[in-house]
Amino acid sequence: MSRGRKQAKQKITWKEVKRQKVLLIWSALFVIYGFIFYYLPLGGWIMAFQNYKPRDGLLHSKFIGLDKFKFLFGDASFIRVIRNTLAMGTINLVTSFIMAILFAILLNEVRWVLGKKMVQTISYLPHFLSWIIVTGILHDALSSTGIVNEVLMNLGIIDKQINFFAHEGYFWPIVAFSNLWKETGWNAIIYLAAITAIDPSLYEAASIDGAGRWAKIKYITLPGIKPTIIILLLMNVGNVLNAGFEVQYLLGNGLVQKVSQTIDIYVLNWGISQNDYSLGTAAGIFKSAVSIFLIVIANRIAKHSGEESLF
Amino acid sequence: MKCKKLTALLLTAAMTASVLVGCGGTQESTSTGGSEPAETPGGGQNETAESSDGGSKDIIDFTMFIAMPGSEINDGNEIQEIIAQKTGVRVKETWLTGQTAAEAVGTIIAGGEYPDFIDGGDGQMALYDAGALVAWDDYLDKYPNLKEMYSDEEWDRFRQADGKIYWANIFQNTYGETKATTHNDEAFWIQAKVLAWDNYPKIETLDQYFDLLERYAAANPTMEDGTEVIPYTILCEDWRYFCIENAGQFLDGYPNDGSVIVNTDTMKIEDYNTSETTHEYFQKLNEEYQKGMVDHEFATQTYDEYIAKLSTGRVLGMCDQWWDFAFTVNDVFKQQGLDLQGCNYVPLGLTIEEGMDNMWHTYGDTQNVANGVAITTSCKDVDAAFKFLNDILDQEIHDLRFWGIEGVDYLVDDEGLYYRTEDMRMQCANTEYKASHLCVYSYLPQYLGTSRDGKNAMQVPEQTSEFFSGLAQPLVDCFNAYGVTTYVEMIGSVNKETGPWFPMYSYSNNMTTETPGGVAWAKMGEIKHEWLPKVVMSDSFDTTWEQYMKAYEECSPQDFLSEMQEELDRRAGQ
Repeated sequence: MSRGRKQAKQKITWKEVKRQKVLLIWSALFVIYGFIFYYLPLGGWIMAFQNYKPRDGLLHSKFIGLDKFKFLFGDASFIRVIRNTLAMGTINLVTSFIMAILFAILLNEVRWVLGKKMVQTISYLPHFLSWIIVTGILHDALSSTGIVNEVLMNLGIIDKQINFFAHEGYFWPIVAFSNLWKETGWNAIIYLAAITAIDPSLYEAASIDGAGRWAKIKYITLPGIKPTIIILLLMNVGNVLNAGFEVQYLLGNGLVQKVSQTIDIYVLNWGISQNDYSLGTAAGIFKSAVSIFLIVIANRIAKHSGEESLF
Repeated sequence: MKCKKLTALLLTAAMTASVLVGCGGTQESTSTGGSEPAETPGGGQNETAESSDGGSKDIIDFTMFIAMPGSEINDGNEIQEIIAQKTGVRVKETWLTGQTAAEAVGTIIAGGEYPDFIDGGDGQMALYDAGALVAWDDYLDKYPNLKEMYSDEEWDRFRQADGKIYWANIFQNTYGETKATTHNDEAFWIQAKVLAWDNYPKIETLDQYFDLLERYAAANPTMEDGTEVIPYTILCEDWRYFCIENAGQFLDGYPNDGSVIVNTDTMKIEDYNTSETTHEYFQKLNEEYQKGMVDHEFATQTYDEYIAKLSTGRVLGMCDQWWDFAFTVNDVFKQQGLDLQGCNYVPLGLTIEEGMDNMWHTYGDTQNVANGVAITTSCKDVDAAFKFLNDILDQEIHDLRFWGIEGVDYLVDDEGLYYRTEDMRMQCANTEYKASHLCVYSYLPQYLGTSRDGKNAMQVPEQTSEFFSGLAQPLVDCFNAYGVTTYVEMIGSVNKETGPWFPMYSYSNNMTTETPGGVAWAKMGEIKHEWLPKVVMSDSFDTTWEQYMKAYEECSPQDFLSEMQEELDRRAGQ
């Protein structure tokens, strides 16, 4: 982000190193940490090219080349889980993104401070619930004797209870909704913070120029938080394939497995349950590769259109 | 100002980035199977000689993981402490929660740290493959009680590819004369009150069964307390989907080989999934579903929801294994007084046509060699572990486990026969009492049948006097009306010897994706989980069945069947 502030190349001298001793030590700690916990485990990727057996270990398992990848892409259910992951990831990304910004702006416009604080607190609390609890609530609410069916029945919208978890069509919306319910308040915090950082004199100036609330949102707030929006969007794009595991795993059942299973569940099923670590690793590698690809593309686009970018 | 803004932005971005990177990292390590979330049940650490427990003897604490759901008993459980004093060993059992057996075992293997004892259920083979188990061969001869559990021939069946024994199944092992009174197998169950309502008719076929359920539900749409009845429900969750899946083999009169039918005339493996009977069975379920007789939520209910539903007494009938529901549900019925309303389930030996022999009940012991209790390489004191397995088969300890403390949980009459008073029975059905007082060690070696004193039963439900005094009046009436005395006679299966290959599921349960047959088996399971409920719920049965069959064929079941045939030939040739 410091493009344009090019400094003359400095020679690294011992004196310089000594002067920055403390800083160097501190950053070294983080580099070592990152190496051990993020890069070292990648050595396990070698499993994807082996017929890995826990008994033989990494060193003695037989190499089989790309067989596991061939199996993966020949497996219709793997193609299906990719589709599900992408679809749910995209739906989640779009809805949670838009809702969080919308919510932050709306909340920012609230003048009554106590009310604002209260809404904010209440709205981000669900973030601290674990998925198992959220899915438990959902399961109850959406069961045939649950509150949703009861309300719909009493309003006369439906005349027979709907079994929400038995229809493939409902699954993605349910997942998207649960994500929204849980995370909107939390995601909005970062935008609220960005909005606070906007210079108040801009708003004053706009008022003098006769801008109403709507105009202020449009011409000051939104442009003001644009860098934040772009950075977060970039990072979330890289996260699309992390569409989730818990929700789908906990809410899914045999009937909807065609649309509910994500790559993570596939990895669990084959890697852990069927004990085929190699296949699980291969699927994991594929997922990481796609994620990196997505984030690079998104970054390129952002850079080209002259916006903020990650790298 | 600008600078400040930028710093703020950078900070927020950096913080989110670190959070996200953190998440990414975990994902990565999951996929490489390197470091698993710290969810390893059992932990695998055993602290020797805990002096804080006050005992003068050194008591070894072992851990055990059982890949089945179960209820943990309290620390300081009374009988557990007595057994610990007598044997010098205390075992902390942990059970499966929220995962499938294979997942839990896979997670433990990936973690590399094992509990001292383990029963891996469906994941047993994975434990062997990971080299996590201790071979029994060098120890068996030192421990006579343990050795006595099986004959040499039976022990040999437990041998794995490397010729060694790594575990022993602890169920269905009868000592002395059999005392079986319950039908500890699969059946179509029906509440005794439904049979009583129609004056105990003869129910032999699926059609008669559903006809009775329909008529009863029409005449009695609610229970005494006003709850709506559910005529029929089906459990489809995870591995328990056998409740919907395998009735076809029984309806055709075959025994529970589980994954295939063995045609004893031709000695060929047959696939019940595609049989005419299975087709008819699902057509019937579909028809009943359309009539509203089948629970509309059956396909999405979890095991817990299913048990909760049965425990209310609302469900008139279902197809299930006795052990899958009876222990929990019957205790609740007793506590709630529902047993007196005739809510207890009795088994019916249905077949697809009238007059066929049924083999729902397996007489004698079924030796399932696919899993059982094993000792892991993490166990610090293997000798003590084997000694404990040996000690708990002593009659005294066995009685403590299954009967309780004399004078508290059971009494002895003049002839030396054990019995319980009604109060004791009530107390032993109480969940709290079970947790604080009783310690069954239900997945460690045990016997059914006759006690070493030659009079009593090894386990309470098999004690003839206990069985009869434990029966609620409606059950007694029902048995009397059909002229039978036990559940086993009620289902009326023919007593036909099963071959040495029985049960075939002990092979298919341990198939891995190494072979094409194993891959096919895994895929078939996946397809059936999806399509069987769909077929039942379909608006147009024929189309959906065709789609199902097409999806089924795509799994190449032939690969699976031919591997089963090989195994059958191997087992039959022995």
